[in-house]
Amino acid sequence: MNILLALLFLLAAGAGTGVVLTRDPRRQIFAIAANGLVLTVLFFALQAPDVALSELAVGTAATPLLFLVTLAAVRRNRARQ
Amino acid sequence: MKQWLKLALLAVAGCSLVWPVWRIARALPPFGEPTGNYGPEVNRLGPPLRHISNMVSAVNFDFRGIDTLGEEFMLLAAVTGTVLLLRGIRGEDTSAAPDIIAGRALAGRAESTTVICRLLGPLTVLFGLYMAAHATVTPGGGFQGGVVIASGFLLLYLGEDYSAWRELIRSHIVAALEGGGALLFALAGFLPLAEGHAYMENTLPLGDFKDVFSGGLMLVENVGVAFAVAAGFTMLFLEFMEETRSLEGDGDK
Repeated sequence: MNILLALLFLLAAGAGTGVVLTRDPRRQIFAIAANGLVLTVLFFALQAPDVALSELAVGTAATPLLFLVTLAAVRRNRARQ
Repeated sequence: MKQWLKLALLAVAGCSLVWPVWRIARALPPFGEPTGNYGPEVNRLGPPLRHISNMVSAVNFDFRGIDTLGEEFMLLAAVTGTVLLLRGIRGEDTSAAPDIIAGRALAGRAESTTVICRLLGPLTVLFGLYMAAHATVTPGGGFQGGVVIASGFLLLYLGEDYSAWRELIRSHIVAALEGGGALLFALAGFLPLAEGHAYMENTLPLGDFKDVFSGGLMLVENVGVAFAVAAGFTMLFLEFMEETRSLEGDGDK
């Protein structure tokens, strides 16, 4: 295992912990997106470009967007009550 | 539960895990060492047997193609279920405006955002199409290309606004693409049956190594997956975003 992979593993652990420790839902969504980006780079460094592409599109664009929209819908419904 | 009791429980659990984890860690093969024969065999057999250079596609669409067909229909079922749950009585009306929470400041889009999104959105869609079409040559494929296409559509939402996006993305077209893509994949498997081969056996001409039109049947299945995934994700985005639209005058539609 080279130094780059070791750093990326540490970064992935850090980003994952960051997602857990973030308590505000809106910030947490961006933490999830950041974690997805770190995982993308990690998969790429591990020579799995196909998985990296999927993770990039799903983990940093699609999933965070669905969470953000859900949050907006929840807030809207609360504001109406 | 008392605080000290929790900590004691944690300590006992942690201590009892140390020895097994140590044993397992010592018994693991060295990092990065291939453990099975499957990967190297696929790498060795792929180019001569299927004339393609992306072995992930060879596994996904040929050697284990039937698994991917199952996954394709899992995606179809998941998207259909989500649409059924979310759409409800809302129907397919495209005229609703986005809802505004009273008292929240509404900042408009910067013009630079619109310009960048208008430039990058179509380019992203084009890149997704490229990635899907080159599945047998370079990394990526129908799924990756499809998701990239869907995120290109999202950039159009970011650059314009909800109403423009709603005008652009028509749910019946997206639904037809989603179902049609899955159908194309399933039907592609029947093509060899008509010639007396097994289901999904790769009987089409295989083309040249490292050429876009290589891999035979894989390319057809791949196009089906690209359509289905792009449309499936766009459908999800659409139905989720419809949840934030204004409910005024929605009563009896």
